[in-house]
Amino acid sequence: MSTLDVAGEAARSQFWIWWAMLAVAVVVALGVFALWFYTFRRRQPPPRTPHEERRIMLRWVLGGGIALPVASILVLLVFAAPSGRGMLPLPDDDAERIEVVGHQWWWEVRYPGEEGERDVVTANRLVMPAGEPVDFRITSADVIHAFWIPRLGGKRDMVPGRHSTIRLTADSPGVFGAQCGEYCGAQHTHMLLHVEALERDDYDAWLEERRASTGPGDGDDGALEAFGEHCASCHTVGGFPEELVVDDLEHGVRGPDLSDIGSRPTLGAGVLPMEEGAIAYWLEHHQTLKPGNRMPPHDHIDTETLQAIGAWLETLQP
Amino acid sequence: MSDDKDATLTPDIRHLHRGMAEVWANPRGLGALTVVNHTSVGLRFMVTGAVFFLIGGLLAMLIRTQLAFPDNDFMSNEIYNQVFTMHGTVMMFLFAIPILEGVAIYMIPKMIGARDLVCPRLSAFGYFCYLFGGIILVSSLLFEMAPSSGWFMYTPLSSGDYSPGRGSDFWLLGITFVEISALSAGVELVVSILRTRTEGMALHKMPLFAWYILAMALMIVVGFPPLILGSILLELERATGMPFFEVAGGGDPVLWAHLFWLFGHPEVYIIFLPGAGIVSTLIPVFARRPIVGYGWVVAAIVIMGFVSFGLWVHHMFTLGIPQLALAFFSASSMLVAIPTGIQIFVWLSTLWLGRPVMALPMLWVAGFLVIFVLGGLTGVMLALVPFNWQVHDTHFVVAHMHYVLVGGMLFPLIAGLYYWLPLISGRMPSERLGRWSFWLIFLGFNTTFLVMHWTGLLGMRRRVFTYDSAMGWDLYNLISSVGGFMMSAGVALLILDVALHFRFGRKAPQNPWNADGLEWAMPKPPTPYNFVSLPRLETRHPLWDDPALPRTIDEGRHGLNTIDHGRRETWGSDALTGKPREVVHLPTNSWWPFFAALALAVVCLCLLARLYPLAGVATLVAAVLLLRWSWENGAHPRAAPDPTVAPGQPPLHSRTLNGPGVWAMSVSHLANGSLYLSLLFGWFYLWTVAPEWRMPETSPLSLPLLAAAGIALTLGTAWLAGLVRRLDRRNDTGLAGGLYLVAGLGGLQSALLGLAIWQAPLAPTETAHDATLLVALVYVLIHALLGGLLCLLQGLRVGYGYVGAEAPMEPVVVLRLWYYNLVVYWTLLVSVWLLPTLLGGTS
Amino acid sequence: MKRLLRLTHPIHVVSGLVIWGLWFVAIYAGLSVACSVAPPESERDMLTGINVGVGLATLATTALLLWLSWASVAAGRKATLRRECYFAYLSAGVFLFSAGGTLFVGYPIVFLPPCL
Repeated sequence: MSTLDVAGEAARSQFWIWWAMLAVAVVVALGVFALWFYTFRRRQPPPRTPHEERRIMLRWVLGGGIALPVASILVLLVFAAPSGRGMLPLPDDDAERIEVVGHQWWWEVRYPGEEGERDVVTANRLVMPAGEPVDFRITSADVIHAFWIPRLGGKRDMVPGRHSTIRLTADSPGVFGAQCGEYCGAQHTHMLLHVEALERDDYDAWLEERRASTGPGDGDDGALEAFGEHCASCHTVGGFPEELVVDDLEHGVRGPDLSDIGSRPTLGAGVLPMEEGAIAYWLEHHQTLKPGNRMPPHDHIDTETLQAIGAWLETLQP
Repeated sequence: MSDDKDATLTPDIRHLHRGMAEVWANPRGLGALTVVNHTSVGLRFMVTGAVFFLIGGLLAMLIRTQLAFPDNDFMSNEIYNQVFTMHGTVMMFLFAIPILEGVAIYMIPKMIGARDLVCPRLSAFGYFCYLFGGIILVSSLLFEMAPSSGWFMYTPLSSGDYSPGRGSDFWLLGITFVEISALSAGVELVVSILRTRTEGMALHKMPLFAWYILAMALMIVVGFPPLILGSILLELERATGMPFFEVAGGGDPVLWAHLFWLFGHPEVYIIFLPGAGIVSTLIPVFARRPIVGYGWVVAAIVIMGFVSFGLWVHHMFTLGIPQLALAFFSASSMLVAIPTGIQIFVWLSTLWLGRPVMALPMLWVAGFLVIFVLGGLTGVMLALVPFNWQVHDTHFVVAHMHYVLVGGMLFPLIAGLYYWLPLISGRMPSERLGRWSFWLIFLGFNTTFLVMHWTGLLGMRRRVFTYDSAMGWDLYNLISSVGGFMMSAGVALLILDVALHFRFGRKAPQNPWNADGLEWAMPKPPTPYNFVSLPRLETRHPLWDDPALPRTIDEGRHGLNTIDHGRRETWGSDALTGKPREVVHLPTNSWWPFFAALALAVVCLCLLARLYPLAGVATLVAAVLLLRWSWENGAHPRAAPDPTVAPGQPPLHSRTLNGPGVWAMSVSHLANGSLYLSLLFGWFYLWTVAPEWRMPETSPLSLPLLAAAGIALTLGTAWLAGLVRRLDRRNDTGLAGGLYLVAGLGGLQSALLGLAIWQAPLAPTETAHDATLLVALVYVLIHALLGGLLCLLQGLRVGYGYVGAEAPMEPVVVLRLWYYNLVVYWTLLVSVWLLPTLLGGTS
Repeated sequence: MKRLLRLTHPIHVVSGLVIWGLWFVAIYAGLSVACSVAPPESERDMLTGINVGVGLATLATTALLLWLSWASVAAGRKATLRRECYFAYLSAGVFLFSAGGTLFVGYPIVFLPPCL
């Protein structure tokens, strides 16, 4: 998560700007402190005429109070401020476009399809091509969140009703942490996103795999039925049989798309690592693991059913 | 006055002292609630602020305990969110601003040679609003219903959908209530500084502290209304569903961010300026020479005051505003480095050219310098947009803002506390305990927050209730927590020192620091009337140029040294030259401020409990109380029925046409205008920017009705202006009738406007367009009603003989309101009717 | 009212910053409105009418403030009262700061496109 462990262009320019600014700041601060303490340590100052005093004062104020800050901020404005240009989504047809939508408290990630193709939708895991600029088009479904991959570059708020685009580049394949940067309520802390940069070919293959996968896979009928009854009104699974969905809730809340949940590295936006049985455990204890999250408690569902659902969901990986 | 001193005075002067003490007496017991004197009210502000500081500090310790270790379960996430929200809210709104207002209220009249502020009852009213609002807000913690959306309450998180509890309501109502006190203090500080300086104190001879407070007060007056408006709109959204900040209804959550930071950034400077004012007061005293570059400092203050309004967006760099617009705000944020640099180097060169001594207050000033310079430097870094994107909302920002606020405000405040304690209590604090507490607080502070910059750079966000050990933040957080507890030990020692000194401190000499300021010419502890006689001053350093001043003031050898008239008096002087123009007679102790504030507290509680009809009744009661309060003015028997003044003195201010009351009305309209402009900003902002804004093809408002109302208003204003012109020539024939006529026109305007609102097909809960329109129209309707009502009361007062050719000021004050209404009404009509009609609806 | 127009009156200590503030509001509001009404194509980067317009407004405002600064110095030289002289020089300094501030804040138009 460290901004100083840089893995991308935007983060790198800020890394150098930070160290340069720090160096100048330390020199300025030490200079001011030294002057201050010297004025107290000095022996009796020589007697001066008011005219001399005025000249000394002017020298200090013009030099320290005006020239110093003016020079510093001019340097900042002329050399450092343009470094933000790199994150501008200036027209570039080649840039890969990925849409990220913030929800309380999870991430929806969409890979828009070409005409006629359907979007690939996943959650809490972002896979991006490495070594090329990627335009993230971001927005929010509820409150203000912020999309931030510290090792790649600065953050951008996700504002409901607005879309904004931020361009980031990962130097080489790797795994990065991302987190919600704007306080968004009870579980702001547990709103983490797993980011993976892949070589272009691997990325294309990964995306193709998801676009091609069609069905909910094999599971015992009990699990599918239970999912349709308890989960399907909020959660989508690609190709899930329509007739099994029991939608008896009136609400505007939407949960993460689960089509490829078995392949995701974490559960609950970074709360639990994905291992065998983790989903069932999460389904049973999610309100203790992540109190206040939007999924209602499952006290009315018996453990076996939850385990069946969990076991089936774990098979969902393209 | 102590008895031993009394013995050296002649009987005449003893009589004068006794008379002053009687006229300016503060009642005890229950009657203490009626006290309006600035010394008492200022002290109350400071003590209450200190209590809230302790509450805020306790919350900070809870936060540091929770974060001391990874995966800590000391607090649940819900409680933690309430705690950090309340920590920020209490420190900013209930500690920093009020306590600095308290210092200003307490010190300003003493420094400029006045006996009280111009609107003493307003000070008392402000205090009670602050007290009640603060209690209401903090009580939410006890009910575990505290706000939990962070101290800047971003919508939609704080709105009804995502914060259904009462937390946000506590915040919005409590803070708005507290802000009444800030505004009232702001208004009267401006007018007091400009219009009640002692004889001869020209504008450029004022103590620098007064310049700082003047800037602060004006910034409060202009800077607070945007947040008040924002709070009203958000509370309306929560209570009735008007979609100001809701995208689907045509609102925009970013509007809240704009309104909040339009207030929020100037607020930082509102806090910093008095702190810097204390530093500028102390440094020359301990450098034992006048400050060099007085003019440079004044220029720096003025520049800061203005530029700080041009950088609110630097809190919103990540919100997705175009980069070029961000760059403007980034550049203007960097500009602030220049006035800051000027001040720091003026202080340094003053020390360089003087013979500085290191006394306890100076130790705190040194702490200020170190911490504030570091905070300023990280501030310049944060002004750089691309870097800001990385560290925004991380612990780097938390560290930065604590450096700026604690360095820029708390350290100077404690320096000032130690410097002025002998004045307040007449005793000297302990040097040894003071040093211990300094080092504990200074080192504790830096231990907590210096390392926190690094934690932030390592990616730790603010407002997370816990973190994973794998992140590598454990050690830094533990260090921060240890430092935090060190700092609180220092605060405990500080309290101990101050408490002990009242009992054990040695008696302070007349001028313990050998200072130049007029406040050291007063008796210690201060009498409510400050000075028995008001000296004529031609110098910026009264006590250095005339060390005998304390004695000659005490012997009544200067101005306004009579008391047999039984009035509380101070000079009303020319804003520029300081030449006395009027004798200002000040109101005495009164119950009205207390009861008016109490009624408003009831309004606040009723709104919280969603008992709207009851809130309406309480609002009416509050209005009646406030108007009843305004009744005791001018030639009223409880004000100044007898206009005679000593020979050679200028007239009483209520017998002139340009007294401080007129200025107070003008400054209030500055605040009111800022509220109105914020509303217009909201209208145009939503119109141009909100993604789902819907405006009907033709305006829903009836032009004939609106135009007729406008004509009534214009006629009324013209007529009232005519009446005032005649009063200027001391002619009050037909005054009462004229006032009734104008009141009638005000009533007509209100009726027509009310009809226009009633017949317009508005659906304020459906679209932000209709909601904003309704709020704007209700705003002018309230003003129309107020204009009419005040004229009606003036007409009655003419009948009672309280207003007339001999006491002509109040109609002038009311005329200002009518002028204001006139401008607001027609500009509003242009904005909500003409422009939409010309440019066409649907956007 | 006439004496308020003389550059020796203390009101001019703030008038330079008021002009700066009006200019600031004008370019920020103008930019926002222009971007929502007629956003230029992003290919044009910073070579757009909006940048040119903001640039001209910036230069004109800077020139006005520089002139006022110079005029204040002249008024201060001619002033007879010490107070008038004092405030004229003070205003001159603030006018000069405002001029520099205008140029400084307007500068980013040379490296950033307006609406992205």
